[in-house]
Amino acid sequence: MFNKKFKLSSAKKQPAAEGEKSKENEEKTKSTISPLKSVFIKSVGNAVHNSSDLKVKSIHPNLTLIYIDNLVDGEVLKKHIIHDLLGNTSESPENVLSVLSIPNAKLSGEIDGAITGMMDGTVLIHVEGYSQIVLANIPTKESRALSTPENESQVIGSQVGFNESLTTNISLVRRYIKNPDLCNEEIKVGERSNTAVSMLYIKGIASEEMINMLRQRITDIKIDSLLDSSILEQLIDDNSLSIFPQMLLTERPDKLCSELLNGKLGVIVDGSTMAIVAPHSFLEFFQSQEDINLRWQIATFARLLRFSAVVLSIFLTPLYVAALTFHYEVIPQTLLVTLSESRSLVPFPPLFEALLLELIIELLREAGIRLPSKVGQTIGIVGGIVIGTAAVQAGITSNILIIIVALGALASFTTPSYMMGNVIRIIRFPLILLAGYWGFYGIMFGFCFIIIHLLRQTSLGSPYTAPFYPPRVKDWRDSIIRMPLPFTFKRPSNTRPEDEDKYEPGPVNPEKNEQKVE
Amino acid sequence: MKKYRSYILYLLLLISLVGCAEKKLLEKVGLTTLIGYDLGNEDNVKTTAVVRQVNTEFQSQVAIITSENETSQGTRTKINRRSSKKIMAGQLRGVLFGEELARKGVGHYVDTLLKHSEMSGSVLLAVVEGQSKSLLEFEYPDIDDIGDHIYKLLEQNIKGEQMISSTLHEVGHDYYSPGRDIAMPILKKDKELIEISGVALFKNGEMVGKLSAKDSFYVKLIRDNYNTGKLEMMIKGDELPSSLMKNPSDRIDLVFDPIKTKKELKLVNQATPEFDLQINVKARLMEIKPYIDVGKPKNVAKLEKAIGKSLSEELSRVIALSQEADSDVFGFGEYYRSTVRHSDLTQEKWHGLYKEMKVNVHVDFTLLRSGIME
Repeated sequence: MFNKKFKLSSAKKQPAAEGEKSKENEEKTKSTISPLKSVFIKSVGNAVHNSSDLKVKSIHPNLTLIYIDNLVDGEVLKKHIIHDLLGNTSESPENVLSVLSIPNAKLSGEIDGAITGMMDGTVLIHVEGYSQIVLANIPTKESRALSTPENESQVIGSQVGFNESLTTNISLVRRYIKNPDLCNEEIKVGERSNTAVSMLYIKGIASEEMINMLRQRITDIKIDSLLDSSILEQLIDDNSLSIFPQMLLTERPDKLCSELLNGKLGVIVDGSTMAIVAPHSFLEFFQSQEDINLRWQIATFARLLRFSAVVLSIFLTPLYVAALTFHYEVIPQTLLVTLSESRSLVPFPPLFEALLLELIIELLREAGIRLPSKVGQTIGIVGGIVIGTAAVQAGITSNILIIIVALGALASFTTPSYMMGNVIRIIRFPLILLAGYWGFYGIMFGFCFIIIHLLRQTSLGSPYTAPFYPPRVKDWRDSIIRMPLPFTFKRPSNTRPEDEDKYEPGPVNPEKNEQKVE
Repeated sequence: MKKYRSYILYLLLLISLVGCAEKKLLEKVGLTTLIGYDLGNEDNVKTTAVVRQVNTEFQSQVAIITSENETSQGTRTKINRRSSKKIMAGQLRGVLFGEELARKGVGHYVDTLLKHSEMSGSVLLAVVEGQSKSLLEFEYPDIDDIGDHIYKLLEQNIKGEQMISSTLHEVGHDYYSPGRDIAMPILKKDKELIEISGVALFKNGEMVGKLSAKDSFYVKLIRDNYNTGKLEMMIKGDELPSSLMKNPSDRIDLVFDPIKTKKELKLVNQATPEFDLQINVKARLMEIKPYIDVGKPKNVAKLEKAIGKSLSEELSRVIALSQEADSDVFGFGEYYRSTVRHSDLTQEKWHGLYKEMKVNVHVDFTLLRSGIME
């Protein structure tokens, strides 16, 4: 509700602001390119506020190159542009264009676009006496080498992760899906940062409606800058106030490709190592790309383990607090003695004890991220062993709670998506508070609240709790369990794919494979 | 902002409700594991509570606190005055009744226990020969925690199908449904041990008689079905042709191990009333004395017949005994009520009929195996 209103109000404000801007733009577009060399250099200099890395180079008296020093590839500039133009005597932009051996050089008569291009590594070639210039795009190819995905590592499967370069990332995807139907729409986001955002989808699989919706959401953004895809995800998801992420952020190209082939849409932001995948249901956040690589029995086991880990992680500590504060009846008789013995030295009520320990664990986790990697491990040992055992001996917490809290923290890290893992860990705190104040009633209240909240969410317009609500029994084959491949030939209906079948459902054990080598 | 006003109201409500729930912190609760009720002076009730004491340095100990008052809940407040922790009954496992009190009636106590929301339905009930106080207060050298011990003693025997089950849930059912009476195990202090000595028979919540521990097998045979039980029985020597035995004797002792039973009850005459009770027993022979060759099918058939006959006689005897005491622990009345239309059976009406009831018992015994040898 709030979200819609928020979007509406921001939409209302925009026309007025846009009006002013469009007027300015009109004035600027009027400023055409001056045929005079000195005037042209001055106007470009003004546009970039005479930045010190703006380079002006004259080859002939009437041929001038203007570029930003650190953005263009010096090697290409020297070998191709300068070398090609030195022997050139005829003086017209068309001629210059024909001489240049740069593939994406073009003519332009408008200064604004030229300056924006210059910020992206374009060399402006001005010919004295013409109001048209040649633009040659030769950006530097500075990028980190491809490396393994740090946050989503897996044992079986490809070991390559996205890096910060948009072109590299797209080429990675294109290498997985060699298909002309793989569409790449580039949209510029950010009035100041002018960040390139690529929207990827496979035509003929992805639903047209969803493509339009996502394109609309990205183009509607009025923001000055966009530095990472995680920011874009918060800007374009269905309910940005919810604690649950509604779009997946992944750094695995194989994950993105498998989701694209499922009929989902992907978004890659220049300068970001994470791709956005949408629509993504709640359940799918707990599925790993590795599940499809492993045999189905093992994958099913891993998934069941992961789901039970989530339940454990959310409810174990609250249950401990509730049972010890209100419902001593439910504690099994055999556990009663050990439990009360370990609690008898603790001076705090269970609620405070649990919160304290949970905070210590969170503290360790947070410190582990911030600390330099060389110290990080030491801190893990200090935190785990020293604080853990000392806390019990000092009588601050009970042994059993240490086990429960550690188990809960460990379980929350089994979630393949880091964003969702965070949610699972944080959502425990309100539940612990509820358990400490109202016991099992509080936990039930919190649980119902979470369920209702989840049921209300959508991901790119499709239900967040699918395939369980609304029940889509066919999709259960690949949900908390993973059936063997011959059974999972359908694309998830959550994506409303244009083409529903991934492949022809064949017999489970084809006879043609029975040819034996003698 | 108007939209959020209701949310803020809920939030305020939630915050203001903090502390309204009654806290029962584990370490501040005195956990009663067993309660014994006895008859005190002038119709008072004497309650003996076994309270578990938690101690870090030593092993956990139990405290036994006794108090006397007009009501059972009244004794609880009195016990509270002598304890450093609040006495709570949520971990209660067993309730014992002194024999004197049981003869005066346990209905009131069953009713009170059932109304207690903390109380689990699986609390076991039993009658004590003599006073429950003296049974609980005695210092047994081999028993650390008397509350735990008595519960496990009863539970083990009930699970092993050696004794009729008497959980609070079942006893409540027996007490309230017309045509059914309560049966509970009887506990007895035997020197330095506690023993299940028999089955107490009740009529309208008052104890009216007892059966021996051995007879509890037959009570259970009619009440429930067996799955794993064990039985030791004797058949008279003249039931079998002496040619079967090498050394003919006048009694044959048998032990059966996993017993499986199926029973069928039929009302053949409404007026008397008369029942046909057909019980199919399947069992494995564990031990037989003197030696009979059970490898021969002919012998087995004869043996099965003799055992079936002997079992029917025993069952008839037990039914007659409880008829004498006027206690329908088998639930014949309940069957009568459910099969006879407009019977409007009440407890009094049924007890009028019960004395005259006739049961034709027929037991079909099948010997499954006679042991496995390697």
